[in-house]
Amino acid sequence: MSYFMPEIIKKSQEQQTAEAEVARFRERRGPFVVAAETTRMAMVFMDAKEPGNPIIFANDSFLSLTGYERKEVLGQEFNFLMAHCADTEAQAKIKAEFEGNPKSGTEIRYRRKDGSAFWAALFISPVRDEAGNIVQYFASYIDLTRHKEEQIQSKMLIEELNHRVKNTLSTVQSIVWQAMRASSDPKVIREAIESRLLALSRSHDLLTRENWDSAGLFDVVKDALEPFGVTGSRAERIVIKGANIRIPPQLTLAFGIAFHELATNAVKYGSLSNGVGSILIAWTVEPSPKGNQLVLKWQERNGPLVTPPARKGFGSRVLENGLARELEGDVRLDYPIDGMVCKISFPVPRGYRGE
Amino acid sequence: MMILIFLEDMLADLGCDSITAAATVDQALALIDEQSFDAVLLDMNLNGDKTCVVADKLAACGTPFIFCTGNDHKIWKDHRDRAVLKKPFKYEDLEEMLTHLPLSPTKS
Repeated sequence: MSYFMPEIIKKSQEQQTAEAEVARFRERRGPFVVAAETTRMAMVFMDAKEPGNPIIFANDSFLSLTGYERKEVLGQEFNFLMAHCADTEAQAKIKAEFEGNPKSGTEIRYRRKDGSAFWAALFISPVRDEAGNIVQYFASYIDLTRHKEEQIQSKMLIEELNHRVKNTLSTVQSIVWQAMRASSDPKVIREAIESRLLALSRSHDLLTRENWDSAGLFDVVKDALEPFGVTGSRAERIVIKGANIRIPPQLTLAFGIAFHELATNAVKYGSLSNGVGSILIAWTVEPSPKGNQLVLKWQERNGPLVTPPARKGFGSRVLENGLARELEGDVRLDYPIDGMVCKISFPVPRGYRGE
Repeated sequence: MMILIFLEDMLADLGCDSITAAATVDQALALIDEQSFDAVLLDMNLNGDKTCVVADKLAACGTPFIFCTGNDHKIWKDHRDRAVLKKPFKYEDLEEMLTHLPLSPTKS
């Protein structure tokens, strides 16, 4: 950033007279003078009788907004603050403001003494003598820096929201499509759509509780299994063991669907389909040459005797293809006779708060 | 994740023999190195990352591709002539765009 070093203006007779007039008003210390001096709104008075409308008074707030000292500002042409001297559009806006702008305030980009730029809303009012001639101009500024930053933030959030909603709609489309291909029975179709939509919705709630920043793996697993009774009558039949490792939103959503598929299968055909079967879901972090790997095992026990499925169903594709891709890792489904096993291993996501 | 599986099914229905999917920019770039593709459907945002490097690479290889986006995205400067599929999209729109996708210049 380069500093603007203003030439301290050698004062003409006219400038000295104009400044002296302002000084006389100030000596009387009436309430308006006190207001102009102490207000937090940056204000200047300009001599309307001289070209360039030189500044004859600047309050303390103006000096702290712009970073200048009073002696550097007095006598300067009003436009010396502009960020780009050759900005004709801004010059035209300022000219319109002098001529009486029906809209309230004009936004101009200005530069401080240290070179940093800021947006301000400019309001200019004429000061007339008894004959009605304009003798001075009064200008006030509102610093819009924070307002502009908030506008940019807002716009980014709305775009992010739109992106997420479109992805959600596409996911719903894929859930409906899949359900209609898998069956022609309306009841089965409805059930498949509903249960997956509700699983998706639960994942969204979980992420919303965490401001969509990340989620803990333990929380994700527990939440996905809740509709299947992990906290209710089946409480001892589902055991979850592992650290609450932080994972990003995309993986949270993918795991939500994946665990829903595993649990649904367990209820239909696996260890939750009888009165005594159980599931153990446990994970550890293991070091490897490529970095830390998270290894998770879903182990079913004491369900009906297992036979491997004749064909890979949708659930298998979701797990072995879809989830593996999202995790950039491996997912394997095995069907030993005493209980289905799903083994998931993937690189521990980095950059999220560890536990 | 579900969207990728869904796309695989749609493309299979449309007669694609072999479908490979990537969920991240790194996976996509690696795949382009490993094999050549007849056509690519490229989401403008993969897992939070913008995919213009993937678009650049596909253009450099001469691989035809279609953009996919949920937002009213401004298409990146060098790729303004590419077709854009807006999410969510109709099966028929995907079919239409793939049918009219010009073949790779290296194919006879």
